[in-house]
Amino acid sequence: MTTLETRTATRTTAPLGRLAAAEVRWVLRRPRTLVLLGLLALVPVAIGVGIALTGGPGDGDRDGPGLVAAVAGNGLVLPIAAMGLALTLLLPLTVATASADALAGEASHGTLRGLLLAPVGRTRLVVMKAVGVVTVAVLAVLLVAVVGVLTGLVVVGGPSGTMITLSGTTLGLGEALGRVLLVAAWTVVQLLAVAAVALAVSAFTEHPLVVLASVLGGLIVFGVLAAIPSLEWLQPLLLTSGWSAGTDALRDPLPLDGLVSSTGRALVYLVLGVGITVWRMRRRDG
Amino acid sequence: MTAGTSAPTDQQPATVSSSDAVAARVRGLRKTFGDTVAIDDVDLDVPAGAVLGMLGPNGSGKTTLIRMLLGLTRPTAGTVELLGRSGNDLASALPDVGALVEGPGFHPFLSGRDNLLRAAAAEPRLDGNLREPVDAALERVGLADAARKRYRAYSLGMKQRLGLAAALLVPRRLVVLDEPTNGLDPAGTRDVRRVVAELRASGATVLLSSHLLAEVEAVCSHVAVLQTGTLLVAGELQTLLDADTGGLVVSTPDVDDAILALREAGAPSYRAEGGVAVPPGRLEAPEVVAALVAAGVAVWEVHRRRAHLEELFARLTEEDA
Repeated sequence: MTTLETRTATRTTAPLGRLAAAEVRWVLRRPRTLVLLGLLALVPVAIGVGIALTGGPGDGDRDGPGLVAAVAGNGLVLPIAAMGLALTLLLPLTVATASADALAGEASHGTLRGLLLAPVGRTRLVVMKAVGVVTVAVLAVLLVAVVGVLTGLVVVGGPSGTMITLSGTTLGLGEALGRVLLVAAWTVVQLLAVAAVALAVSAFTEHPLVVLASVLGGLIVFGVLAAIPSLEWLQPLLLTSGWSAGTDALRDPLPLDGLVSSTGRALVYLVLGVGITVWRMRRRDG
Repeated sequence: MTAGTSAPTDQQPATVSSSDAVAARVRGLRKTFGDTVAIDDVDLDVPAGAVLGMLGPNGSGKTTLIRMLLGLTRPTAGTVELLGRSGNDLASALPDVGALVEGPGFHPFLSGRDNLLRAAAAEPRLDGNLREPVDAALERVGLADAARKRYRAYSLGMKQRLGLAAALLVPRRLVVLDEPTNGLDPAGTRDVRRVVAELRASGATVLLSSHLLAEVEAVCSHVAVLQTGTLLVAGELQTLLDADTGGLVVSTPDVDDAILALREAGAPSYRAEGGVAVPPGRLEAPEVVAALVAAGVAVWEVHRRRAHLEELFARLTEEDA
């Protein structure tokens, strides 16, 4: 008891575990987080139901457009298709929202001041905020994956718990779930890159909308740049140009080039984003 | 209390205490935003155990000064010392400092209590059960009944009370309140007064900024007056008020004799309600009484004419403008 009291009387910041737990609780009680997570859970359901109702592309129509067509009669492809689809807009929107609220939102409510005055150290504050954003990213991807697997198995069905790859081979349930998990992990890393950049923007403003506009605008600009042939040399610098690599998990044998290079690119964005965030938050007025 | 103590003038660096124990101290503090000078070379001591009221018109730099004191804004020049800590170590004083700065800041989707629980999780001085201190703080500011209501539904006064509760989550050595009575009804204002009195009784130092002069006069032991970023005056409230007017009022039936006697003793005086008024400056109170008694004037009562902060403030801020 005495040691406990002494520690409380001398420490200058609250324990990091308690800060992180409070942050996660705050993130998960925020209505907009829950709404976005709910929408994400609907993505695989919508695809699954759509395919079940239309029966998918006809049997003779195997050359139909890529991923979604591959889901028909092949339920375990659904989670991978759903993650790929959500990565184009809804998943980045979700993590950008979390990042926007994490610093810009707190600043606009005047609550950032409270945290700085507690005091939560400025670097610790970034760690605490990162925990909240990572929680959202992981939950969002897991939700799409799990609901995707369930919807795939229940609504779409498939050749008795196996997955037919785009290469035509058949994978057992264990390996199929392994592929889903691989894509989930890869998607989380890509999202964390988006989140880190969003957090860096968030550290500079007290308007959450600026963060959302920057991130979504940035994704659109990246998409446009990638579509201009004369700017092909830019491709290796664009985060989004590696985002088609998720589909590689549906090939057999598994090609790792795209997954590895896009992960490497995401890590560069991640390090830059976190670095700028920490640099800025150590100087920011509260 | 003795007449003749002069207030620090605005030319000299104003310090509010001769004692060495200060809760906060700034020296040569300056803050500019572009071409605007928000705070210009301010020296100020907040003596430990004092209730210092910071006065000044809107835009005089009160909040900027407070923000620099708490490490929320970096000074352009000068030093800040908070509970003996300064420089990069300033933040280590913050666990013992409670603050309500620039209005209450909370999340609208959480209840008042959940907002405080979140704030409590960040308090270094709290350990284990956070609910007890949170409920105690809510009780203390009179929010116990509305604790589970969403912050969104709070009235302005309730929000202000919640901000006060957050500043009082832990026993503090220094409490900084920026416009604490903003939006409060008379009962709320009384509650703030009570809380400030309790803090003072517990030995804590209180720094509060306000533009409500009556409010400051009612609760503060010290005042500091800011105008356009400059500290006009700082000191013990009573000393400043005494020095500002400090005249005496003598109750006597023998008005004419009294005026005559005082004139002979070298002090001008004039007829006032129920007796004579003696302006300050020439004679000390005992000399006035001695002169009157020597002249055989019946003296019922002698009291110091009480100046009001309002007059002092008006004189200081208008003189300089």
